[in-house]
Amino acid sequence: MSATLAGTLAILLFALPLAGCLGNALLGERLGRRFVNIVGPGVVLGGFVCAVIALVALLGAHEDARSTTVHLWTWFDLGPGALRVGVDITLDPLSVLMCLVITGVGFLIHWYAVGYMEHDESPWRFFSYMNLFIFSMLLLVLSADMVILIIGWALVALSSYLLIGYYYDRPSAVLAARKAFVTQVIGDVALVIAAFMIVTNLSVRSLNLPTIFHYAGASFPHGGALVTGICVLLAIGAFAKSAQFPLHTWLPDAMEGPTPVSALIHAATMVTAGVYLIARFHTLFDLAPIAQGLVACVGIGTAVMAGIIALSQIDIKRVIAYSTMSQIGLMIFAVGIGAYSAGMFHFATHAVFKALLFMAAGNVIHALHDEQDIRLMGGLGLTMRTTERCFLAGSLALAGIPIWAGFFSKEELLGLGFNHGPAAPILYFVGVGINVLTGLYTFRLFFTVFRGEPKTARTYAAHEAPPTMLVPVGILAVLSTVIGWALLFGIPGVVGPFILGSFLDPVFTADGGRLLTEPGHLTALLTVLLGTAGSLVGSGLAYEWWYQHRPDAQVIAGKVPRVLTQLSLHKFYFDEIYDAILVRPVRTLARRLRDVVEPEYADGWVEAVGRATAWMSDTFRVLQTGRLRDYATGMLVAAGAFVVVLAVLVR
Amino acid sequence: MLSIDLFPLLLGLSAAMFTIGSVGVLVRRNPLVVLMSIELMLNAVNLAFVDYGRYLNSEDGQIFTLVVIVVAAAEAVVGLALVSQVYRAGRELDIDDLSEMKE
Repeated sequence: MSATLAGTLAILLFALPLAGCLGNALLGERLGRRFVNIVGPGVVLGGFVCAVIALVALLGAHEDARSTTVHLWTWFDLGPGALRVGVDITLDPLSVLMCLVITGVGFLIHWYAVGYMEHDESPWRFFSYMNLFIFSMLLLVLSADMVILIIGWALVALSSYLLIGYYYDRPSAVLAARKAFVTQVIGDVALVIAAFMIVTNLSVRSLNLPTIFHYAGASFPHGGALVTGICVLLAIGAFAKSAQFPLHTWLPDAMEGPTPVSALIHAATMVTAGVYLIARFHTLFDLAPIAQGLVACVGIGTAVMAGIIALSQIDIKRVIAYSTMSQIGLMIFAVGIGAYSAGMFHFATHAVFKALLFMAAGNVIHALHDEQDIRLMGGLGLTMRTTERCFLAGSLALAGIPIWAGFFSKEELLGLGFNHGPAAPILYFVGVGINVLTGLYTFRLFFTVFRGEPKTARTYAAHEAPPTMLVPVGILAVLSTVIGWALLFGIPGVVGPFILGSFLDPVFTADGGRLLTEPGHLTALLTVLLGTAGSLVGSGLAYEWWYQHRPDAQVIAGKVPRVLTQLSLHKFYFDEIYDAILVRPVRTLARRLRDVVEPEYADGWVEAVGRATAWMSDTFRVLQTGRLRDYATGMLVAAGAFVVVLAVLVR
Repeated sequence: MLSIDLFPLLLGLSAAMFTIGSVGVLVRRNPLVVLMSIELMLNAVNLAFVDYGRYLNSEDGQIFTLVVIVVAAAEAVVGLALVSQVYRAGRELDIDDLSEMKE
């Protein structure tokens, strides 16, 4: 791709959402809802067109020439040999894939939001935040400079804070937004420290990503303590953004935001930024096996934990949120074992079917007038046929049932885990367990919400969502069904098989990276069969327990050790633990400072300054008589004194 | 011819005029008298300029005096105009009473 084309596309990708953000914020209220409803999704669609053009240009280029880095402008330059920071952008298969998902799925979510926010009082504020979020994500994924990347990273946190706290008159939403932001900042700080460590230890003084990766091998010994530390810090940043243990508690609370926000931020894009970060810094992670092992273990651990929690949650959005956490855990596991392409494949399919699930759930919530408790749902399949079918497609994709999208991506990354990564193949069998869990909680949700007897009268009054909310969901449902095999086997006459792998792999083999060896045919077949069996067993059990009720789920829950059910119900007590070891001590300290230190120590100084000023003005105000004569006398006396002093001094 | 050195005498006269003028400005309440006192102070300065110019064999003092006379004329015009306006407004001509600008 020529540098001019890449630069133009990148500027358009930045400018469109930013213009949408500013336009909606400044003009939206004046020009009204129609303007906002067109501009909000429109600019994202424009971004998607740019991303598609970039994709076409990349596919047309030779396989080795698919990474274009363009220098747009310099921010600051500390001279030759010193740090130089500029807005550099990279268009390569990895960033273009991210852009496609962000703008493509993002556009459908914006479109859906037009319907969802129809009765909202200030859609301009909402769409302004949404466009800001898209801009931040694009800045994050396109940046080829670590400083700009961190700015995008922090802007993503800011826009998610704004969106989670969109209903600012609800205290719970404000608290959730604050929690998310504080957690994000932990990740930001880790990233900034990692950047410092890189710039001080790299043999070249630079934070330019291609430069870092080019000199990484020469600057950091393989498996050295330094590169391990850097990678652990990067991983902490990724964990905060991707809601991984132990920084995961913000994600379920973030469901306080409007449903399109949950779909956009907490399913499709933001939480996968951590996966992107690790994939982008693969050169460093390849040098630090210990950090990779840590990442893989945290990923699979979070996947198990979130899967268990999802089994007992009763809020429809929280169940999907925990399933997101679980799926992101699998992606983090994949990039941890070095299966970067597989991780990004799962990212792409997951973005589609998880946005679908959230938006279908949004239809349900909308139809029931903001009811989110699944115990009060049931039987909705009768009144909401289309939503039910779309939700089913999303559930099948999430559970990993063959031919739906999740099957291909999940089996691929789990299969690679069979003979790679720490303690292989133990983690693979954990992965099969996760498949069972996924099937269970996915279809528990589906059967509880859409099948069975309606629990409240409201269910009978529920009506199908309007077309603006159904069409995007329908498109995503079709995509969830076809995207997996389309990407894996190719579409005859259009793209060849294994398109995504061969498209992404060159990114990860540059700068001396190695691809994982594919498992042998027999192993591959066996792992796929075992993994699929896990998914089917989970889904089948869910059918038995929550649909046929033979035996009923409650009976099963009674047989499981109480510890497990309690852990699941109370989300492993993480909120309680953090409350006890972090929130409450800080609050006590703050109160102590307020009650003791402030009145006795801090206030003294402040008040002394104030009192001195008051005393001085009291003293000097008598001079201000307002009579010209007094001032003239003062002038004359001063002039006389001046003459006398001068005379004495000259002599 | 008398060969008295005029320089200190004229300087002393100038100082005396300046002092009388400034005291007049400070103690009198009639704005007309205040204006006249200011005029006296300006002319004391003029005298000092001319005296120094003669002493130093320079024309600068006289040139500066001309400038001061022009400024003094302008000041007198403005001052007298103000006084006449105040008088027309029916106010008593007392500087201490004319203090609306104070607050």
